Amino acid sequence: MKASSELIYIHPGPVRVWHWVNALGIVLLVLTGLQIRFAEILDFFTLEEAIKVHNYVGFIVIANYGLWVAYYFGTGKIKIYFPDIKTFLPNVIKQMKYYGGGIFKGDPNPHVMTPDNKFNALQQKAYLGLMFIFLPAQMITGVLLWRVKEYEQYINMLGGIKIVDTVHVLLFFFFGVFLFVHSYLATLGHTPTAHFKAMFTGYEEHH
Amino acid sequence: MKFLKVRCLLIVSMAVLFVTLAPPSSCLAIGNEECMECHSDDSLSRVESEGMKVELYINQARFEVSVHNANDVACVDCHSDIEELNFDNEVPHAVSLAVVNCDKCHEAEAEAYIDSVHKKAGGKGITIPCYACHGYHYVSHLESESVLERENGFCLKCHNPNKFHEWLPQMDTHFAFVECTVCHAPEVPRYVNIRFQDLKTNKFLSGEEFLAVLGTDSDGFMALVDEDKNEIIDVNEFEDLVFLLLEKDVRGTFHGEIVVAIEPIVHHVNRGVANRACEMCHMPTSPFFENVRFSLSREDGTSQNYVVERKVLETYYMNHFYALGGTRIRLLDQIGLALVVGGAGIIIAHLTLRILTIPARKQRKQKSPFEQEQDGGEK
Repeated sequence: MKASSELIYIHPGPVRVWHWVNALGIVLLVLTGLQIRFAEILDFFTLEEAIKVHNYVGFIVIANYGLWVAYYFGTGKIKIYFPDIKTFLPNVIKQMKYYGGGIFKGDPNPHVMTPDNKFNALQQKAYLGLMFIFLPAQMITGVLLWRVKEYEQYINMLGGIKIVDTVHVLLFFFFGVFLFVHSYLATLGHTPTAHFKAMFTGYEEHH
Repeated sequence: MKFLKVRCLLIVSMAVLFVTLAPPSSCLAIGNEECMECHSDDSLSRVESEGMKVELYINQARFEVSVHNANDVACVDCHSDIEELNFDNEVPHAVSLAVVNCDKCHEAEAEAYIDSVHKKAGGKGITIPCYACHGYHYVSHLESESVLERENGFCLKCHNPNKFHEWLPQMDTHFAFVECTVCHAPEVPRYVNIRFQDLKTNKFLSGEEFLAVLGTDSDGFMALVDEDKNEIIDVNEFEDLVFLLLEKDVRGTFHGEIVVAIEPIVHHVNRGVANRACEMCHMPTSPFFENVRFSLSREDGTSQNYVVERKVLETYYMNHFYALGGTRIRLLDQIGLALVVGGAGIIIAHLTLRILTIPARKQRKQKSPFEQEQDGGEK
């Protein structure tokens, strides 16, 4: 560690547990999801195994989401997900300029992480949609597809099983791509592994 | 003398002619009306030696709509040991009749049944005759598109499927959409039967009702729908049918179920041959979705079926029928591929630029240590 660096406790224990359980869960859901959808091409699991694992892991991810909700709402930290409307747009532009140009020139990241201001404007925008729209939509459609006959009434209210499945499948592709993009963006710290380490230790290094 | 000879010859000739032109013995036998003289009495019953009461009443109205009556099968054609009725005796025919032998007419069915699990159960002291499933006197057509009706009519009379299918994901969904014999008699041809459900009344339209909406009949249906006259309702023609219904202000949904063909071989249900591998059905290559039919039911329990292009199952016109893998919407896969390729492309491009600009960043660091210090101070 360089002398000029400073360690700041950014990721509390429950958040780290939630993050890694969620990460492992999403990876398994994407893999089993691929097996379920493309059974004619892939052969990681039998379809029966893939469906079982997908169902169990799905419920673990839902329970884990409950942990996230309880922690962030219980502690009031949920506000880190909501951007300040006045500064949001300029910050998005600044952040986009950094990722699209400044980062290549060696400019400093315009956003400095603090426990109360953990996410940059782009992250806030992405995670707000992810945690409040995409993930819940994926969980709801997943539960409906888990018991098609039992939840027939709700499925019909939403327009039929193909509509529910379409939402689930499109979000499945989105989460599949998200895994790669998110992992890549995590390498954009002051060193490629800095953010990964922080997500285990809880401490981000500031320079 | 000569006159006598001619008279004798005439009598013999007439006798020969009478014997030759006489109707076959069955026609001379007892008619259904005679049987019904007693068996139309709803109180007619007999108490067996074990004390069990056996109802002997035949509901004439129900018998008349049975498939046997429709084919002019007489009572004594099945109860063939009744040769005559003696109305002078208390009981007009033998009390204990021989077991009815259905094989006599249903040879192919009997052959398929010989090696079936139901016939083999006989070895364990159980006898499962044809009428245990088909009923006694009111055997009717069952070409119902409804899996529930088919199962209730036969399998579920004896079997409780909930006991043996815990392994099956979405058990209820399978039971609701797939007829038992689709898995348990795998060699029987199978179909996806499509029916139309009216969303206003929430009921399936009968064939007659559906055709009335379109203002046509079963002969005119294909002429109306099958524009290219290839005897198949393809995706575009199916789409036109949906619009035609909308024009008639009929809003509904197409509902699919997987059923087997009503063929003699359907009796060949056996232990250990049931299809259990999910992959057999849940793949785009599965034969389970190859034969798709639009079914219009008739009042007599039969149905008129029209061939539908398989691709229809992969469209949103069939919003309420989805078999994992088998009927998936291919367009979504293309969108998924575009997302993956796009995402990967952006990452690769960004990473490449990062790598290519490493020397420039190094140079900048070396050239302006003052700036670096300033940056550090700001942080």
